[in-house]
Amino acid sequence: MLRVSDLHLQIGDAAILNGVTFSVQRGDTVGIIGPNGSGKTSLFNCLSGFVLPEKGTIHFNDAEITALPPFARAELGIGRVFQSFGIFREMSVLENLMVALEGRTSVWRTLFPWSSSSRAIREEAKDYAAQVGLAQKINHKAGALSGGQMRLLEIIRALAFGAELFLLDEPTAGVSPKMKEEVALLISRVQSLGKTTLIIEHDINFVQSFSKRVIVLDQGRIILEGTPEEMRRNDLLQEIYFGRNMSQAVM
Amino acid sequence: MNYLVHLAILVGIYLILAQSFNVTVGLGKLFNLAHVAGYAIGAYVTALGSLELGMNTVQCMISSGLVSALSAFLLGGIALRLAGDYFAIGTLAFSSIVSALLVNWKSVTRGVLGIPGIPRPEFGTLQLNDESSFLGLVVAVVAVSLGVLYLLFESSFARVLRAQAENRFAAMALGRDVRLINTTAFFVSAFFAGIAGSLFAYYLNYIDPSSFAFSEMVFLLTIVVVGSPGSFWGCIASTVFLVLLPEPLRFIEIPSSILGPMRQLLHSVVLLTVVWLNRKRLFPSQREV
Amino acid sequence: MGSIPQLLVNALTTGSIYALVAVGFSLTYGVLKILNFAHGHLMMSGAYLFYLFSVNCELSLPLAALCTTVGALILALLTLFVFVAPFQRYSTVLPLVTTLALATILESFVSMSFGVNVKALDSGSAMQSFEIGSVYITPLQIAIISSAVVILAACAYLLHSTSFGRRVRAMAELEVGAQALSINVRNTTVVVFSLSVVLSVYAGIMVGYETNLQPTMGHGYTIKALAAMILGGLGNLWGTIIGCYILGMVENLGVGLDLGEYSLPAGYKDAFAFVVILLVLLVRPQGLVSWRRRTA
Repeated sequence: MLRVSDLHLQIGDAAILNGVTFSVQRGDTVGIIGPNGSGKTSLFNCLSGFVLPEKGTIHFNDAEITALPPFARAELGIGRVFQSFGIFREMSVLENLMVALEGRTSVWRTLFPWSSSSRAIREEAKDYAAQVGLAQKINHKAGALSGGQMRLLEIIRALAFGAELFLLDEPTAGVSPKMKEEVALLISRVQSLGKTTLIIEHDINFVQSFSKRVIVLDQGRIILEGTPEEMRRNDLLQEIYFGRNMSQAVM
Repeated sequence: MNYLVHLAILVGIYLILAQSFNVTVGLGKLFNLAHVAGYAIGAYVTALGSLELGMNTVQCMISSGLVSALSAFLLGGIALRLAGDYFAIGTLAFSSIVSALLVNWKSVTRGVLGIPGIPRPEFGTLQLNDESSFLGLVVAVVAVSLGVLYLLFESSFARVLRAQAENRFAAMALGRDVRLINTTAFFVSAFFAGIAGSLFAYYLNYIDPSSFAFSEMVFLLTIVVVGSPGSFWGCIASTVFLVLLPEPLRFIEIPSSILGPMRQLLHSVVLLTVVWLNRKRLFPSQREV
Repeated sequence: MGSIPQLLVNALTTGSIYALVAVGFSLTYGVLKILNFAHGHLMMSGAYLFYLFSVNCELSLPLAALCTTVGALILALLTLFVFVAPFQRYSTVLPLVTTLALATILESFVSMSFGVNVKALDSGSAMQSFEIGSVYITPLQIAIISSAVVILAACAYLLHSTSFGRRVRAMAELEVGAQALSINVRNTTVVVFSLSVVLSVYAGIMVGYETNLQPTMGHGYTIKALAAMILGGLGNLWGTIIGCYILGMVENLGVGLDLGEYSLPAGYKDAFAFVVILLVLLVRPQGLVSWRRRTA
């Protein structure tokens, strides 16, 4: 479904990605881990189209999308959940969902608030809000929600938009431990709907509960690939995360 | 009585002008400093259209809107590629070019002398010769324009515009062509600015560049900021309030050379106060990915 | 119209005045990261202060200059602490709005106090031009050009050879980094901003002698400084100064050259700055769009 080959990205003088190659099958869930600055978010930005790679190609459903603008990729079904929250804080919960749903209908059909399409979209948005327990808060500003609720809203918004591939950038960042479970539940629901998911996550345990496959990124390269179990036991990974400096000192 | 009619007409023209400005600056948070240029273009198209080309009132008003909108479309093509400060600079440069043309393109605009003798609007046999019948036209145009803009403010288009104002990356990730949306907002906004300009030219029967000075831009900004950017009803209330605010000054014995600057001073002090009170909420910075 | 050497002398004079205005504009952008839309208006107000002291109060030249400097400093501090600092940390757009408000306040205030008509500072014998070859030049023009050179050289020395200059450049580069090095951002900002206002007021006084003063002149000079800065790069001081002289050339040659039917009327002189801005933005937006940010 997604095929990335030899992706190079340079920002200023810094090489961010140095030849990233991997592919993902439909329905798969792949975890992406790696230390800070290893290029995880930049990889997502490349996939979303916010930055253009210097070299390499991205194929989505057998079509090359390397040079497509971000909105066109989204229309093809690439959804994104941002690390720093991509919800519109100044807008209500309902409006956030409506923006997503209206992306699929023409502007003209939703121009009048009393048209049947507009009303249908409003009902659908309410329905989605209810699915993540925000039925009571549809008219609250999204910025007033808790971190966990914002995350739930953002994921369900991508689902409402009709994304096929979910790019989740640290979905548990800024989420209380209690709400983490709810987020995990929602992600597994996304999975069960047959969607493809890429998750950037620091918490290997969290990743393990969804994915059979993990990619480890370091300094813009994929250095390891395998099951979460293998990763856990891998010395190299331990070294990257916990003690590169220490091991160097030993050497 | 005439004075009240005059005020009502003035308020009507500013209602259209400010509400259309609210589309770009309020909903889209696009710091567009070229709105008065659209207003000026509308006024001059009506003046020249009726005097030189013999167009009738309906033709003049429509073409005022369209020419203004097209110029904004061109400007949008350049300026909307730019971010932040560059966007403000680009729109400022555009509005300055329009002012320079009004003053210097003497063979067409007669420069600072202005264009006198713009005929009163007429529809077939119906001639709007006196002030109160002109007020009727203004009320009708304002009702239609604000009606259309109200629908726009409640529509999905406004939602996307507000969404991209806050986080354009998230808007793009929801499949929205942000540049197209912003260009459309520019187009619509300038169209109504042109209509307002047309009404203005018909009302005064005489236009010159001084009516479209940069201080007018600051006044519009004041209206939108005071009414809370993006709020339809807030903008209407603040238009009425701010257009009428300096009027009591007329009844005090002040020389007219001081009256104009004093009005500007009053508006900018109001602007500054409101910005200070709302500094945390107004124009929040864009989020980066 | 004039001969080419004559036009070049005029261009140098105009460019020097623009450079004196734009130095402060560019430094302010570098340090504060805001476009000060009231910059030209501060210049205009300062020049009117000088008019007040030297013509209305009939003070001697040095005394008037001293009083004007004090006035300009007060104006600079007021601007910084009332119109810029309280808003800057909330949004990048707010200072644009508040400096616009300040611009209108200054313009209307000066119009109310001095009237909207032009005022001229009398330079007496300094306006009597003499002839070198085929070129007419006034002592005032020589004074403007040479003082600009001296002032720009002094700025170069200040910025590139003193610890203060290194601090300013560090702040322009990265404010957080500069703070980490315990640079007193606030003090540096105050000094830089005061310097910008004083320099532009000096330029305003020169304009008053060379041509005349008008309450509405401020906006035009802000745009000239903007155009020069767009040419030279936002926050790039030396690029901006080169941009000023280029703009001076373009304006004077553009309306001065006799192209027969295609000669531009002199009124278009000011429009070049706007066209320059739009053209540069049209041709080179790639360096200006902020998407290619470093992201972790």
